[in-house]
Amino acid sequence: MNVKSITYVLGWILKFEGAFLLLPVLISMIYREIQGWAFLFVAVLCATCGLLLTGRRPKNPAFYAKEGFVATALSWVVMSVFGCLPFILTGEIPNFIDALFETVSGFTTTGASILPAVEHLSHTALVWRSFTHWIGGMGVLVFLLAVLPMVGGTNMQLMKAESPGPSVSKLVPRVRYTAQILYRLYIVLTVLQFVLLLFGGMSPFEAMCTAFGTAGTGGFGIMNDSMVRYSPYIQWVTTIFMIIFGVNFNVYFLILMGKFRQAGRCEEMRWYLGIIAVASLLIFVNIYDAAVSAEANLRASVFQVASIITTTGFATVNFAQWPTFSRVILLILMFMGACAGSTGGGFKVSRFMIASKAMTKYLRSFLHPRAINKIRFEEKDVDDETLRSVLIYFFTLIAIYVISTLLVSLENNDLVTTISSTLATLSNVGPALGKAGPMSNFAAFSPFSKAVMIFDMLAGRLELFPLLMLLYPPLWKETVQEARRRKRRREALSGTRG
Amino acid sequence: MQPKTAKKKPGSMNIIIVGCGKVGHTLTEQLVREGHDITVVDTNERVIRDVTDVFDVMGIRGNGASLTVLEDAGIRRADLFIAVTGSDELNLLCCTIAKKAGKGLAAIARVRNPDYSEELAYLRQQLGLSMIINPELEAAREMARLLSRPQALTISAFAKGHAELVRFKIPAGNLLCGRTIMQLGDILQFNFLVCAVEREGNVSIPGGSYVLHEGDDITIIASSRDVHRIFESIGMRSQAVRSCMIIGGGKSSYYLAKQLLEQRLQVKIIESNRQRCEDLNEMLPEATIICGDGGDEELLKEEGIGSVEAFVPLTGLDEENILLTLYAKRVPGLKTITKINRITFNDVIDGLELGSVVYPKYITSEAIIAYVRARQNSIGSNVETLYHMFDNRVEAIEFHIDKDAPVVGVPLMELKKKDNLLIACINRGGKIIFPRGQDAIQPGDSVIIVTTHSGFGDISDILN
Repeated sequence: MNVKSITYVLGWILKFEGAFLLLPVLISMIYREIQGWAFLFVAVLCATCGLLLTGRRPKNPAFYAKEGFVATALSWVVMSVFGCLPFILTGEIPNFIDALFETVSGFTTTGASILPAVEHLSHTALVWRSFTHWIGGMGVLVFLLAVLPMVGGTNMQLMKAESPGPSVSKLVPRVRYTAQILYRLYIVLTVLQFVLLLFGGMSPFEAMCTAFGTAGTGGFGIMNDSMVRYSPYIQWVTTIFMIIFGVNFNVYFLILMGKFRQAGRCEEMRWYLGIIAVASLLIFVNIYDAAVSAEANLRASVFQVASIITTTGFATVNFAQWPTFSRVILLILMFMGACAGSTGGGFKVSRFMIASKAMTKYLRSFLHPRAINKIRFEEKDVDDETLRSVLIYFFTLIAIYVISTLLVSLENNDLVTTISSTLATLSNVGPALGKAGPMSNFAAFSPFSKAVMIFDMLAGRLELFPLLMLLYPPLWKETVQEARRRKRRREALSGTRG
Repeated sequence: MQPKTAKKKPGSMNIIIVGCGKVGHTLTEQLVREGHDITVVDTNERVIRDVTDVFDVMGIRGNGASLTVLEDAGIRRADLFIAVTGSDELNLLCCTIAKKAGKGLAAIARVRNPDYSEELAYLRQQLGLSMIINPELEAAREMARLLSRPQALTISAFAKGHAELVRFKIPAGNLLCGRTIMQLGDILQFNFLVCAVEREGNVSIPGGSYVLHEGDDITIIASSRDVHRIFESIGMRSQAVRSCMIIGGGKSSYYLAKQLLEQRLQVKIIESNRQRCEDLNEMLPEATIICGDGGDEELLKEEGIGSVEAFVPLTGLDEENILLTLYAKRVPGLKTITKINRITFNDVIDGLELGSVVYPKYITSEAIIAYVRARQNSIGSNVETLYHMFDNRVEAIEFHIDKDAPVVGVPLMELKKKDNLLIACINRGGKIIFPRGQDAIQPGDSVIIVTTHSGFGDISDILN
């Protein structure tokens, strides 16, 4: 494995993180908060470490799938560890596991918090929390690819490892321009939401944090009860933007290119919108409360559905107290997640569709054993490799879910809390049901459970395999062996020369 | 000539390549290196995946002659369209449709069936194509050139054939051994220039005090008329080949045999497929066609490998070609040429000392890159021909000079040139001039540059 290239990528990630940390520093200057110094210190630390690691461009350009996976997974780990330092230094979250949980939850756009009283945090810390959502939403490596010209295969491997969805499709021939287009769309949409929120009477600070949280489909609020207290206008704007950020960004690119018909034909988006409509309708009927207006009922159901399916995790009502039918619908949506190629998490609508189409074709094969059963998705044949990866992904997801639920169950919480909290972290939703519902938090879990959930969040955001690769012993065994062999060969060579 | 759409980087073009076989793959690699935006179209998902894994290009699965697929591939924004699928007819169809769908787009098709080989110019004109490439025919031309100067390892033609870039190895005890480049002018009365020397794996563009050694792999440029006599005067045997044995009866064999027969050589082709033998017999009545297995040692002996002057294995399998060449090397004085289609172990192949090696896929991609560079560049000059030498480490480029070029009329010694660069010669109306410091480039000249830099698209690129 090409260790030097990987550390080079890590170095750049740290440099970027150092730059990102300047935003909270700026906010601290505006609000004259002392916490800014801690952020500044960590920013400098990141930049220094980054500079040390990127001092020399690696000579060996070999960068294959394994390097891509490892670099991506390590980037996220390193980024989270450095990102949690300011919380510890300022003493706002003194415990390391708690601070790491909060930061990982931010970067992976989960939005699960261990803070019992969010309002007590400084503006500086709040903006960093929300900003991590925004950075993690589109992905920091995608950002790296957009800004930094990389050699040969490096960029494609990184893009593949970080982008969500069963297959990566480029918008334009080069990864770099694809990444730039994605980030441009992302920024424009975020600014648009920010402006619309300002019209709704939010303060610029609140609007910024909310827009960051929505764009990354994260869900950190700046208040404990999330978005309950905001006006209907703000809630509707947020609903619409959550749905927008859950759509595959290719659709926006097609719209930008003037291909409206092609954009409208996107099968995944149609299903995604259809699922939102049906789920909202069912919940609307199920929770209908005559005490408030029909609009309020509708708003509550659509908002929660959009928030859960896009894996954002904002809440305007305490859905943990909804009837069982509605809660089960939310659990299903939690699992399903948003579209591939969006900023949302979960299993992804496209995978769900491919898998269900495979199932019906399988049934058909009993009816007509000799029929050709090709699966079509987005007007194209799905090749066997994609299908296989979808099915393996499904199994792996279930396996990780089951194991982590088992580990968390040691804590002996009630069943609903246990089942939903691992699902909410693995799918990067955030608030779960039961004791970890939208109006409460994850503070009560033991450090062990939190560690399990940190793993789940990272695994969920990186689509499982990059992180599993890190824990795959043969990879490290081979790397060590390779290094040892190289060293031995070098020694042998110098021996013959000397 | 500037591409019309707004560009992120000056000179970067949107290129669509249909068909991703050997040539498509090589083209993708080279054009990506030149910094263009490439979209590859192929019907085979696997092939697309392989190429997009390695190179930063977009892959589209589908039929390159279908308008929907082409739209997907971004035909409206494309500047250049290259069709290199396995079928000539499909390539021509792709290009025709692409020309209609994309405005102002240049199209290049590969057409290699001998049935069309006489009509390429007509096809090109009628279909409005920018270029038709026939790698087999080009390879055959290069092989024929090599057979006429058997001492050379490779020969590349410049200036419409007036100048040749000739690579050869200095044999033991040769006149050149131990001489500096400067002394060469005194001992030989012909004009030529040593452009590059490879010694122990290192390639350099030598200065006047460079001392040549036995075993150096040197490249010289000279007027085509003189090459023969230069070889004679440095004491390297220089008798053109009069008879040639070709193994395998594919398209390149046909093209090569046809050219050799025109030059009145005796040609013998060994092909194992009976039907193909009969076809060849009909197409090439003057050649001797042997129906048999070219890999059979006894047959080769029987058919006179010991007495023939040149041996060219052109089977479809690179490994077999290499093996046959290694066998033929045992016959002293036998000129061999090895054609390599697919395999990429360039270092290993170099180490085998096979003699002349011809790579049709590189011939094709060099022609296309020369075209692409000529199209993207702007002021006052045009790339006419381009060759990569020594594994892409050295480029030889011929520029056609217009009156607006910044180098016109300035004595060469006053030009602020980059290092590692040589103005090898100037073609002025068919006359090859080896310029001295006080000479100046004139409009209408074509200038040949040899350099270790890469990516030159304009004569002004030679300046600092």
